[in-house]
Amino acid sequence: MAMKHTEKELTLLREEVSQMWGLVLSQLEKTRQAYLNDDAELAREVASREKRVDTYELKIDSDCENYIALFGPVAVDLRLVLSLIKISGTLERIADLADGIARHVITGECTALPAAFKEELRIGTMFDTVISMLSDSFVALDSENTKLSGRILAKDETVDEIYHDDIRLLSEYVQQEPQGARCAMETLLIARKIERIGDHCSNIVEEIVFYIDAKILKHNRNEE
Amino acid sequence: MTGKRTNQRIAFWIFRILGLIVVGILFWILGFIVWHGAGVIDWKFLTTAPTDGMTGGGIFPAIVGTCCLIVGSMAVAFPLGVMSAIYTTEYAGNGKIVRFIRIMTNNLGSIPSIIFGLFGMALFVNALGFGDSIIAGSFTLGLLALPLVIRTTEEALRAVPDSYRTGSLALGATKLQTIRRVVLPTAFPNITTGLILAIGRVSGETAPILFTAAAYFLPKLPTSIYDQVMALPYHLYVIATSGTDLEATRPIAYGTALVLIVIVLAMNLLASFLRRHFGKKVKTN
Amino acid sequence: MIEAKNIDFHYGDFHALKNISMTMESNTVTAFIGPSGCGKSTFLRLFNRMNDLIPGARLTGQCLVDGKDIYAKGVNVDELRKNVGMVFQKPNPFPKSIFENVAYGLRVNGVRDQAFIRRRVEESLVGAALWDEVKDKLKKSAYELSGGQQQRLCIARALAVSPSILLMDEPASALDPISTSKIEELIHSLKKDYTIVIVTHNMQQAARVSDKTGFFMLGELVEYNDTKKMFLNPEKVQTQNYITGRFG
Repeated sequence: MAMKHTEKELTLLREEVSQMWGLVLSQLEKTRQAYLNDDAELAREVASREKRVDTYELKIDSDCENYIALFGPVAVDLRLVLSLIKISGTLERIADLADGIARHVITGECTALPAAFKEELRIGTMFDTVISMLSDSFVALDSENTKLSGRILAKDETVDEIYHDDIRLLSEYVQQEPQGARCAMETLLIARKIERIGDHCSNIVEEIVFYIDAKILKHNRNEE
Repeated sequence: MTGKRTNQRIAFWIFRILGLIVVGILFWILGFIVWHGAGVIDWKFLTTAPTDGMTGGGIFPAIVGTCCLIVGSMAVAFPLGVMSAIYTTEYAGNGKIVRFIRIMTNNLGSIPSIIFGLFGMALFVNALGFGDSIIAGSFTLGLLALPLVIRTTEEALRAVPDSYRTGSLALGATKLQTIRRVVLPTAFPNITTGLILAIGRVSGETAPILFTAAAYFLPKLPTSIYDQVMALPYHLYVIATSGTDLEATRPIAYGTALVLIVIVLAMNLLASFLRRHFGKKVKTN
Repeated sequence: MIEAKNIDFHYGDFHALKNISMTMESNTVTAFIGPSGCGKSTFLRLFNRMNDLIPGARLTGQCLVDGKDIYAKGVNVDELRKNVGMVFQKPNPFPKSIFENVAYGLRVNGVRDQAFIRRRVEESLVGAALWDEVKDKLKKSAYELSGGQQQRLCIARALAVSPSILLMDEPASALDPISTSKIEELIHSLKKDYTIVIVTHNMQQAARVSDKTGFFMLGELVEYNDTKKMFLNPEKVQTQNYITGRFG
C-alpha cells in the first residue's frame, strides 16, 4: 500500500533527525580525534560546524510543531513526534558539549600532563563509550528495537565511574604537582563534559523507549 | 453543434405548444362557461328555488344539497381515511398485508364512480334501508373519496421526519402519544390539503348520487339526513338533458355550471394556499 | 452505571455486535469510536431500547442500567427511556415552540402542574447552556434557532425528564466548530450530574470530552481503556492503526 501522506511527513521528520544524528556523531568523533592528537585544526573544524547542528535543531523543532498543529497526531505518532523534539534538543546539547571540548583543544594550554597519567585518566575510553552510546541509540530508534536500551544505559555507568575516578586521580595529581593545576582542571572539565554527554545519551534512550514501548524510564530507572 | 441546438430548439417549441394547447383548452372551457353563465348569476339565482318547471328561479336547494353531501361524505371519509392511513403508515410496518392494502386502496381509487353509485344504491339505499337520502349519498361519496383521503394522509404522515418519532419515543412517550402530539400536528396541514382536494372531487360527482341521494326536483330544503336533496352536478345534468324546455333552461345550466366550477376552484385554491402557508410553518431546516 | 454482559445482537442475518462486555461508571463520559458500521451506534441504542424499533432484531446477553436488567420481562420501556435520555446526530426539535419542546417530555409523562413545568423548562435550558440565548423567545418556533442551538435544545429536552444517563449519538457531527465546542463544554459540565455515553466519528472529540473510550470494529469491542491511555498508548494494534489514520 502506498504510504499515506501523514506517514510521509513523519518519515521526512525522522530522516532529518537521522541526518542531525549523523552530524553530531561525526562532531563527537572529530572532537575525540582532536583531543587525543592535540589537533587544533580539527578542533576548529568542529567549532565551525556547530552552527549547522543548531540549524538542524531549529528546523526539526518547527517541523514537529507543524506536524502536531496540522495532523493532530495521537498514540504512536504523538509519541514519536514528542520524542523527536526532545531528541533533537538533546542532540544539540551534546554537540554544544563537543564544541566546548574542542575549544579546550584550540586554546591548547594543556600539554603538560604526562602521557602515562593521561592513559590512566581513560579520557579516550570515555569518548569511545559515549560515541558508542550515541550510535547504538540511533540503531535502536532506526530499528525500533528497545532491546539495546539496557546495554546502552549500562554504558553510562561506565562513563560515570571513569569520571569519578578521574576526579580522584586529578585531585591527587594537583596535590603532588601544584604547577599542573590549571591543566588538571581543564582536563577535569573535559571529563565532566563527556560525562554530561553520556547523561544526554541516556535521555535519548529514554525518549526512544517512551516512543516505542510507551514506558517512562525517566526519573525512576533506579527503582527498577 | 448547430444540429444539436436546432433539435433542442424544435423539441422545446413542441413542448411549449403542447403546454399552451392544454392551457388553451382549459381557458376555452372556463371562458365559454363564464361567458354564458355569468349573466344569469345574481343574488336571486343563488338564493331561490327553481320555478316554472325549472325554467326560472334559482338553484338554492342544489347548493344547500351539495353542501350537505360534502359535509356528510367528509364526515364518513375523513375519520375512516385518516385512521386507516395512520394504521398503514405508523403501525402496520411494511409487510405483505400493508402492501396488499395499499394496492387495494389504489384500485378502489380507480373504480368508475358510477359503480360506486350502483353499490351505494344496493347497500345503503336498499339493503340498509336508508332510501334515497343525504346519508346514503354521503356514505357513497365518502367511499369514493376514501382512497384519495387515505393516499394524501399517508403521504402527509410519511413526510413527517422519522427523527420526530424517535425523538419523541426517546423521551418516554408512547407510540400513541407520539402520533397524537407530534406526528399528526406536523402532518395536519397536508392532511387538510388532502381533505380539501377530496371535497373538490366529491362536490363535482354526479354518478354516485344519481341513485342514492339526488332529487330531480325538490324545491324545499332538507330537514333530516334521511331526506333527498338536490345537488348541483345532478341538477346541471337534469336541466341540460331532460328538462321541460331545454332552450329556456340553457342559461340556468350555464349558471349552475359556473357556480359548481367556482366552488371546486375555490376549494383547490384554498388547498394550495393552506399547503403553502402551513408548509412554511412546519418546514424543518 | 451501565453494565453490558456478553451482548450479542443480530439484525436478521447480520451479526451486529459480538460478545461485548463493558461497564460504564456513573458520572463519567464514555466515548465510542470506530469506523462506520462497526456497531457503536447499535450498542448505544441498546441502553434505551431504541433498537426495539428495528424489525428482526435479536439480542442475547444482559444489559444492566443501575443494576436492573432493562431487557427483563415487565420492564416499562417508556420509564426506561425517561431515565436514559438520548440526543441524536441531527438536531430534531419538534415543530413546536422552544418552550413546548422542552416541556414535551414532562407532558407525555403526565405532568400537569404548570408551575412545575415552567420551572423544569428553565432549569433544563440553563443546564443545556441555552437559557440566556432563548429566555426572551420561548414562544418562538424551535426552528428559528441555529443548528447548534437546536442541538442544545434537544439536550435540554432530554434533561427535562430528569434522566440519570444521557446517550449521545454523534451529537456534534452536523455542527460547525463553534457549536461543536459549545456542545463539548456542555458535556463536560453535565458530567457531574449524569452518566454520559457518546458515539463520535471525531476522534479528537472523543479525546477531548471522554474519560474512557471504547474502540469498536466489525461488531467487536477491540479495546476499552482510559481515554488518555487510548490516545497515547493503545494496547491493540488495530486501535493504534485506527486512531492514527492507518486504518484500512
